[in-house]
Amino acid sequence: MIFLNYEEIITNFEEITNHYNRSDQYFDILYDSISSTNIVKTPSAENFSVNTKKSGIVARSFLGSWKEVAIEASGDMNIIKTKIPKVSNNGNLIAEFDSWSLNKEIKSKIDPANVPIDEKIKRVREIYKYVKNADERIINVQVKYLELLIERIFVNNEGCKLRQVIPRTRVFVVPIAKEGSVVDYDYFVKSGEIGFEIFDSIENEVLDQAVKNSLAMLKAELPPAGRNTIILDSQMAGLIAHESFGHGLEADQILRDRSYLKQHLNKQVASEICTIYDTPSIEKKLGSYFFDDEGIKAGHNILVENGILKNFIYDRRTASELKATPQGNGRRESFAHPVNVRMSNTYFGSGDYKLEEMISEIKDGVMLVHGFFGMEDPLGGGMQCTSKKGYLIKNGEKTKILKATALSGDVLEMLKNIDAVSKDVLKLDGGTCGKGTEDMVPVTSGGSYLRAKNALVSPG
Amino acid sequence: MNEEMSTERLDRIEAILKSKKIQEFEIFFVEKSLYETIFLKDKTENEREISDFEYFLRILTQKENKTGIGVVKGNSLESSQIKKNIDTCVLLSKINSSSKYDFPSKVNISPINTADKSILSDPLTIKKDLAEVLISEVNQQKDVSPTFLRFRTHSNHSFLRNSNELKLEARKTYFFMEFSLKAQENGKLSEFWDCGYYKEKEHLKLNERVSSWARRAKDTLRAVEPTPSDNALVIFSPSVLKKAINPVIGIHALGQAHAEKISRFNIGDVVASENINIIDDGLLEGGLSSNSWDSEGNPHQLTEVIKNGVFQNRLYDQMYAMLEEKQSTGNAKRAESGTVVNGISNFKILPGDISFNDMISDIKEGYYIDKFSWLNPDEVSGNFGAEIRNGYYIKNGEFLNPIKLGNVSGNILEMVKNCVYISKEREFIENTLFPYMAFKNLNVSS
Repeated sequence: MIFLNYEEIITNFEEITNHYNRSDQYFDILYDSISSTNIVKTPSAENFSVNTKKSGIVARSFLGSWKEVAIEASGDMNIIKTKIPKVSNNGNLIAEFDSWSLNKEIKSKIDPANVPIDEKIKRVREIYKYVKNADERIINVQVKYLELLIERIFVNNEGCKLRQVIPRTRVFVVPIAKEGSVVDYDYFVKSGEIGFEIFDSIENEVLDQAVKNSLAMLKAELPPAGRNTIILDSQMAGLIAHESFGHGLEADQILRDRSYLKQHLNKQVASEICTIYDTPSIEKKLGSYFFDDEGIKAGHNILVENGILKNFIYDRRTASELKATPQGNGRRESFAHPVNVRMSNTYFGSGDYKLEEMISEIKDGVMLVHGFFGMEDPLGGGMQCTSKKGYLIKNGEKTKILKATALSGDVLEMLKNIDAVSKDVLKLDGGTCGKGTEDMVPVTSGGSYLRAKNALVSPG
Repeated sequence: MNEEMSTERLDRIEAILKSKKIQEFEIFFVEKSLYETIFLKDKTENEREISDFEYFLRILTQKENKTGIGVVKGNSLESSQIKKNIDTCVLLSKINSSSKYDFPSKVNISPINTADKSILSDPLTIKKDLAEVLISEVNQQKDVSPTFLRFRTHSNHSFLRNSNELKLEARKTYFFMEFSLKAQENGKLSEFWDCGYYKEKEHLKLNERVSSWARRAKDTLRAVEPTPSDNALVIFSPSVLKKAINPVIGIHALGQAHAEKISRFNIGDVVASENINIIDDGLLEGGLSSNSWDSEGNPHQLTEVIKNGVFQNRLYDQMYAMLEEKQSTGNAKRAESGTVVNGISNFKILPGDISFNDMISDIKEGYYIDKFSWLNPDEVSGNFGAEIRNGYYIKNGEFLNPIKLGNVSGNILEMVKNCVYISKEREFIENTLFPYMAFKNLNVSS
């Protein structure tokens, strides 16, 4: 089957969907198409690649468990009817949710499709050249530009008829510095559901700062190991909200009896000055969309309010089982990957402190800056989040710069020890998140500055 | 998809390339099929079947001292779309400015067997049978329960053709398994959670593996935070070692890292303890990355990287070999985007002369790390710090108690210079064949 346009896809999908009665079984079908341009420049190579609309179809039915078939878009769609059996009286095995229709494209300010490829490459080369020539200690520069256009069309036998087209763009700059035998780096990344205008925000001052940050790492010292008062920047706060805390709220882990948070619903899990959200409906962030890959409308989920755990995060199946309202968190990496319960934009709400006040009240502490990576521990509630760098705080002032710093220990203990949240404007940073080690989806996480007492830090 | 259909598809793409008089081109075409069962506890939650294919075109435009390389990825076989893809690829190659590069020429490459015939012929039955064995083994364990399991078979059929008349084909099969086993006692919870790819059926060892997961999950119930030490002796399991060695030693050994001035290794330098021998082996029987050819069609081979602690050879793909006037060592990998990059194939570390049990008996005080939350060392600097997920504290030659939480930190480039023991036993972990290794002078905090 070779599809030409939206109408033809919808017609074909409705035909196959009508084959399965909702009263007998739940059925849905998703078309997934991704186009991308990838430009990478390093000292010795330029890698340019274009992905021209790689597309596929995945269909599934719930028969007490899911039965799922995925094929490339040019494959024979009749195979779906062959592989997914038609049954009777299984319709009530999964709850019915609201049906709705949507056909929406996010229009970027400058549509990358209207920008010639040589213009994109020119911008990447300009950034490379500027950063490379900024300081003789910059021995290597890597500049990566990625633009994606993702189209998803969803039809189910509850009456959903949905289409969304979302652009996602990212620029990543790594200036690697060397002095003597020390080689280190920091990096700059900008991303969002935006178009070619992404380059408008990458001015020379931003690149100068990226170079300065890398050069500063040459003088960085190892962080202390042990218990300390800490300040987390918005990226590190986001890592905690997402990796250490949010994964334990994914309701598939609740059904699996694999979450330390299962017993904590409506109980205190964080200091009362903490509020944590997951919101796929925020506009133009990397983790935003109109509907998830199960046709559920993107919502706004208050996970923690004034320190009390209020909600878990659901997909269609877990919401049905746990009699909850899903907010659009059933996501696939692509047609070839399964739906899992996934976060979207996950963040701490802001507080009423100024950062300067938070620092000035610390005699000895560590500030963790530039969240680097983190890992979930949904069963145990352990925490491993690492910042690219840090600062030692002495007598109320930021002093020495520190190398990568790891934050570990018990996440609920850390959340309850938060005694200050800054009033800065919400800052969300983009990345990709895996379920375990695969099934990557775009997300953001963030918040503002957090301060916590008695947290375990060590070299990261 | 049958072979005839694959060849027809390749022929169609090649014919269009030739009709457009493209001088230097490469087609990499891969068909994938995957069968998976996902379990919620011990009940089936999702049965998945996926068939997919994609192709990558690379076209070269030669320039003075430079080569322009265009790459396009797609899965549409409509002639109009193939033509459009070729035009885009040509345009990219005209703008691109990379180091001088030619496609490999046709050479005789002896095929090696990388596919299990039973998976090729009946993947559904193999998947079903093995998943049933897995669940049966799990249900036989006392005092532990599964929270979820994923089990699947993969089957890939790849074709590589280029304008130098090179025509290669390979089939590969492998398994993926992810699981979490939970233990519970007096309100305390613990788990052993792991995932990975397994090249051969024999590597699954379901009976042995499930018993070992169960023991580790139960032991972790009693785990305590480790005693801090800034001069600790730490044993890494083969799976931990893979995450330590591959991203750091693997990067510093590459031709690309040398060309781009980020490698700390010079040929002849002592870069590791004398007892360490690391080999890159693209032909390793049972290695996940084994194939007779690399991603651009050069033959895979065996290359000594570190011998008795001394750095011996860099690992080259065609581009960096040409740049440094060397021969390719068969170290080209295809990235998700379709570009070809320099990378390791399979790493193996030669075994030591002590058994794992004797190694433990010999240690007065130390730590054994079975699994970190996520060991993710910085590739360039080698610095790392990771939280202990499953491990043991060793005292007077015995595992005294399980440990969890706390951090182990250090620098991989320095750590390999402080290797105290290497075990006789080795395990396949995806694209590695690694022993257990003990390193001194690491930092343990809690």
